[in-house]
Amino acid sequence: MNSRELYPDDEQRRRIMDFIMAAGETLLQNGAEVFRVQQTMEIMARSFHLREFHVYVLTNGIFASAGTAEISEVRNVPVRVTHLGRVAAVNELSRQIAAGGMTLAEAESRLAEAQRIPFPRDHVQLLAGLSGAFCFAMIFGGTLRSGLAAAAAGFIANGYLLICERHSVPGGFKTISTAALITLCCLVGCHLLGVEASHAIIGTLMILTPGIAFTMGIRDFVQKDYLSGTIRMIDALLVAASIAIGTGLVLSLYTALTGVIAV
Amino acid sequence: MIGLSVISLTNAQVGQLAAQFLLAGAGTLSFAILFACPKRTLPCCALVGAVGWLVYEFLVLCGWEAFAASLLAVIPLTLLARLCAIFLKCPVTVFLLSGIFPLVPGAGIYYTAYYFIQGDNALALSNGISTFKIAVALAIGIALVLGLPLPRFSKK
Repeated sequence: MNSRELYPDDEQRRRIMDFIMAAGETLLQNGAEVFRVQQTMEIMARSFHLREFHVYVLTNGIFASAGTAEISEVRNVPVRVTHLGRVAAVNELSRQIAAGGMTLAEAESRLAEAQRIPFPRDHVQLLAGLSGAFCFAMIFGGTLRSGLAAAAAGFIANGYLLICERHSVPGGFKTISTAALITLCCLVGCHLLGVEASHAIIGTLMILTPGIAFTMGIRDFVQKDYLSGTIRMIDALLVAASIAIGTGLVLSLYTALTGVIAV
Repeated sequence: MIGLSVISLTNAQVGQLAAQFLLAGAGTLSFAILFACPKRTLPCCALVGAVGWLVYEFLVLCGWEAFAASLLAVIPLTLLARLCAIFLKCPVTVFLLSGIFPLVPGAGIYYTAYYFIQGDNALALSNGISTFKIAVALAIGIALVLGLPLPRFSKK
């Protein structure tokens, strides 16, 4: 059966719709911006001759209908991770579909492949956390020693984050406890190495800082998706507040116990 | 402007800039790996981040304010991200998200929230305003460059 027929029948159209929704969901879940999700879904619908396709995308949901609204689907996307490899893969897929020649079955299996691209392996993530914390501690004006303390803290923090993911710890608690852990590790490390802790703490906290939410918020605003941009910005603010709570807790305890004001 | 009078840098400053360039590249690379960017894009991600931070550091060395330096640094950064996106046929998000990481006022957001919770409202406000200014600068820079008409890879 030719999957690219000009006037797909009912069953065919439902299948195309499911495929497009799944593609959009994959994009949104893995950190694509609202504008791209919308554009990609529209391009796919046009390429598969799904007529009267309308879609409205928010940061955490997709609403779409096709035909005279006899097909309509809603997807809730509450959990977001950042896996830009999957975004790039779906984007590549959409480009190939638009170029023509790809059947629906082929596209479906390619999408399933893209959804299965794994995260970097555990030890790679740990090493990346280590070197990221080290570099940013140095960038923010730290010495080599505070960089080393930050590297150790980054390694431990990423390990803790991996454990949290395994046991699906809720986001707020995860951020607060990780921030506290980072601060504690940096204080101990810097105390042992005899340097000031502030650079190491800020550098390591870069692992947690809502840089993505913030940048995506800006991009949503630029594309005039004000509602999605607002959601991202509130997300960024909440994460920042959680970080401050975790760090503030440990710092005030440290001050209370030792009488020395850190940072 | 102040900056133009200090074009000649001392050797130590050049060394410092080079070190910052490498560190920013390595830092960006680490985060690009954490965000699971495709392997073939990793070098370009690192380059984008390093170039953005180099421009920022250079301008700060020349005595520019963080707001203006961020605005001017994000322009070549976003331009480079778009060029990489075209040549590697990859969404611009891949390069922009990881490349902008050194410039995002993470420390500013953190200090604002920290002082807010500690009850030091004056410091929270001043940190918040400078963070907000940098955020606006980044937003303007990104919006400017993303709005530029560049030859796009054909999507039909």
